[in-house]
Amino acid sequence: MATPKRTGRQSRTTTPWKKAKPGTAASAATSRRRGARAAVAKARTATAPAAEPALPPDVTASDPSLFAPLTPGEIADAVRTLTEDRRVAAMAKVGRYRVITTEPLVVKPPHWITGHRLARVVVYDYAADRCVDACVDLDAGVVAHLEVSKAQPMLSRDEESEAISVATLDERVRDKLTLGETALVALHYWGLDAADPAYARRSAAVMFGQHGGHPSLVAIVDLIDNQVTAVVPAAQW
Amino acid sequence: MSNVIADANWKFHWRLTESAGIMIYLAEYRGRRVLWDGSLPYVTVDHQRDVMEDEAQAPQARGPWWVPLGTRTLAGNVRVQPFRGGVELTANFSAGPYHYMQMWRFHDDGRLCPWLTIHGSGLHDRHTYHPHWRFDFDLDGAGHDAVEAFTEGGWQRVEEEGWFPHTGEADDNGFVWRQIDFATGSSVLVRPHTWDDAELFAVRYHDGEWAPFSPRNAVGTAPFPAAYVGREPLEDQDVALWYVAHVHYDQAFPYTAGPWIKLEGFGRDK
Repeated sequence: MATPKRTGRQSRTTTPWKKAKPGTAASAATSRRRGARAAVAKARTATAPAAEPALPPDVTASDPSLFAPLTPGEIADAVRTLTEDRRVAAMAKVGRYRVITTEPLVVKPPHWITGHRLARVVVYDYAADRCVDACVDLDAGVVAHLEVSKAQPMLSRDEESEAISVATLDERVRDKLTLGETALVALHYWGLDAADPAYARRSAAVMFGQHGGHPSLVAIVDLIDNQVTAVVPAAQW
Repeated sequence: MSNVIADANWKFHWRLTESAGIMIYLAEYRGRRVLWDGSLPYVTVDHQRDVMEDEAQAPQARGPWWVPLGTRTLAGNVRVQPFRGGVELTANFSAGPYHYMQMWRFHDDGRLCPWLTIHGSGLHDRHTYHPHWRFDFDLDGAGHDAVEAFTEGGWQRVEEEGWFPHTGEADDNGFVWRQIDFATGSSVLVRPHTWDDAELFAVRYHDGEWAPFSPRNAVGTAPFPAAYVGREPLEDQDVALWYVAHVHYDQAFPYTAGPWIKLEGFGRDK
């Protein structure tokens, strides 16, 4: 792969880190922290020279348990919280989305949600062809950060299975397979050429062959329309 | 099995991710913080065509593909094993014709080896692997860091975010890049494998710019981590480093890619 050139930061639809809802426990905690910070800032103003450099965030006291895998209940909680957020109401209402992954996230100090149990939820919205990347604060029950972009997150396990199913049922694929050849793996694929349907559409490459042998065939599956867009002998790939 | 390991002067935590292999987090050496987290977000693979015809007539190259290294491709268990002078974690991942063994090796003298052994023959022989490691080093804290590259016969300060390929120049010990903590003078040095054709992306740490769950960005835009590179200054900041290797398949496979990383200023250096 050619080494990418330097580029500017990509433009994305990003909402600022959402503050806790007024009146909630998180809001109270945030207010307390803000108050403490304001007091510290005031004290510094009174006693320290203005040019004093800011102290680095203290990451050394981090809680390792925040990195622990999410429990099934935490995953369910995170997805529920996200789908109830009004900013993704259209996505949730249409219901053509897949949760790609849900993993723990730990934010460094001095951010206001440092020390909170957080979940990163990545969703692909088929209806709008967009990626929703959210940070859910499980302690406060709010979506703390929401980013919507045209980036393509990895395929979910369901999408991998769907791609294999679509490719296996395609007649052009079946005609080319010999005895004992089956789907070996579904790969996360994208095209480099604008003429390739996989350039702009969410796609998978399903590899066929004998287990333990060289693959013989590759089928490209368009996951938006659930159809095979190309069947290529492995040697010609 | 505990996910906290204290051995060989190191203390670190680990967990298996959904797509970025074994993640190491909150790693300390001799009681001092070295790493916030480090992982292997993805290994992309691209295949080249056997172009015998006129280059202009040849069809466009096909894009790359990848599979997540994580729970869905794990083969066997994650293993923790002491060795003479250190401790290591290993895990095997398998997906069709692609087979990998990810390693994290921690030496008692402050060396760290995040490596990947690449097995398998791919679709056909003409293909290249691109493992991407991401390191968020927090040397004695997150801020007050800077990055330097060894060029023009000496260590040069990197002023702003960018992409820094290994040009062949290195210091006497083979190190090409380093991250320095101003407050303590400690540093972490990165030595690429000679045959990795390696490059380093240095970006300022931002909340929200965590390792993405795919190398693919929006249509027509640069993939990650290049998409994170802007023009922000790096000096005196919290920095994240991406080490990317480019390994072409040959008959001598398996091949082990990845950098040597060495700590300095953390006590006795050998």
